[in-house]
Amino acid sequence: MDFLDSIRGMSFFDMHVHMISRTTDDYQAMADAGVVAVIEPAFWMGQPRTGVDSFRDYFATLVGWERFRASQFGIRHYCTIGLNSKEANQEALAEQVMDILPLFIYKEGVVGIGEIGFDDQTPAEEKYYRAQLELAREAALPVQIHTPHRDKKQGTSRSMDIAIEHGLAPGMVIVDHNNEETVREVLDRGFWAGFTIYPFTKMGNERMVEIVKQYGPERIMINSAADWGISDPLAVPKTAALMRQHGISDEAIRLVTFENAVTAFAQSGQLSLDDLAQPLTIDQSQRFNGSSVLRGGQAPRVDKESTIIR
Amino acid sequence: MNSLQLSQTLFYLIEQQPDSAAAVSYLRQQVDAFHTNPQKSAFYRVFTALPRFVGKQPLTVPADMAFALQQARPGFSVSGWTRDRLARVWWLLQLPTDEQSTYVSTITELFKAGELNELVALYSALPVLAYPEAWRFQATEGIRNNIADVQSAIMLHNPYPADYLDEAAWNQLILKAFFTDKDVTQIIGLDERKNARLAQTLADYAAERRAAGRSLPPHIERLM
Repeated sequence: MDFLDSIRGMSFFDMHVHMISRTTDDYQAMADAGVVAVIEPAFWMGQPRTGVDSFRDYFATLVGWERFRASQFGIRHYCTIGLNSKEANQEALAEQVMDILPLFIYKEGVVGIGEIGFDDQTPAEEKYYRAQLELAREAALPVQIHTPHRDKKQGTSRSMDIAIEHGLAPGMVIVDHNNEETVREVLDRGFWAGFTIYPFTKMGNERMVEIVKQYGPERIMINSAADWGISDPLAVPKTAALMRQHGISDEAIRLVTFENAVTAFAQSGQLSLDDLAQPLTIDQSQRFNGSSVLRGGQAPRVDKESTIIR
Repeated sequence: MNSLQLSQTLFYLIEQQPDSAAAVSYLRQQVDAFHTNPQKSAFYRVFTALPRFVGKQPLTVPADMAFALQQARPGFSVSGWTRDRLARVWWLLQLPTDEQSTYVSTITELFKAGELNELVALYSALPVLAYPEAWRFQATEGIRNNIADVQSAIMLHNPYPADYLDEAAWNQLILKAFFTDKDVTQIIGLDERKNARLAQTLADYAAERRAAGRSLPPHIERLM
């Protein structure tokens, strides 16, 4: 059976996905699978940027062209803005990025500071993580924390310790990329626990089903973190289908694939359940600064059923 | 380290490669012109354009040459390299070293603009560049890089990290090597730089792999 059939009519919120690296086919497939909203956390581009202008343009794209592009497929696009941990290591550049962050974090649709935290767990990463926690506290914005791939367990504990030290309420902090080893502590301490369904390096979705069975749906949310790597922008709907197959209740599925993320990020004042209940009108003939997602002579919404590509 | 001897040995190695006459004459011309008029733009042009003139074939490295390189810079080896990689490292040795800030900024610009093969050559060159302490941060950027060949250039068969990285950066190299499926037995200084903190982190990593139902990378026990 097509997994889409089992989840028809459900709505999903992928609270971590790097759409800037994805194609319009992905947007179309996500919309068809029920994804109604996404959060794009600011991250790196796979290689280090060498100047502050690249950061400025990237942030401006997240609140500009990318949001528009998503809207053309009926998907609401929100973002979190921040200096990622990897690039925090280039200190001279990091200073310049910190200077321009206030220009972006108060913009419409910016639902948090993110994704920030640790990668190698260097002193520079810690410095800019702390500075951005201060920014978040001042702006009363949620924080989306990237936990490290390496030395993960310790890095996750430390990220939470530091957030508390800076006076952030655990309920304002979404700790992302959890796994079996980190989830208990994150939930016990009152933080939100994000899980990334990403092949090989992070969670597989069968493991995710087990986690929801064991811990229940409270304060857990899942995402695809799809980016420029081999990843799956349909990870959230696919996992919902798998949870259904394994007898997890519709209510629990709705919490971990939609509502918990809305509740957490609604604390920014930039989105609400009511907003998401309103259908977004798709008009692919709309323009952004004079540009459309359509190219010369294209008809809005390509018919996916046809094998002919005109 | 004896830079002059190293430079001569590398050049001699290029001369020894089959059908390298045109490449050798190009390199001689460029280095003479650069010595006469050491313009940064010329330095950059030659560095980036080298593969067009010297080719990208795998090197043949006779045992006596490998030995001579080890003498000039312990731990340094060029086995498995291509001609362009060797020629680029040789070219970096032609940059005047009299003024540290100019030297470092000139090479840093190459790192910033580097594509894959350039980055491989640049990281391979770290153990033979002047002012070795100045490249510590750049070395960690190489470990942080996402491209397998670039990671390998700094992690494997490269004596720079073991000689110059502090414990935290060294441990990051080892973790990242396991994480990216490198053959860690090719890391220079693997046993010499074992430490308690690394052992603990690797034990946590092993526990996480087991919890996820995944296998452990080979040789991880050796450092735990």
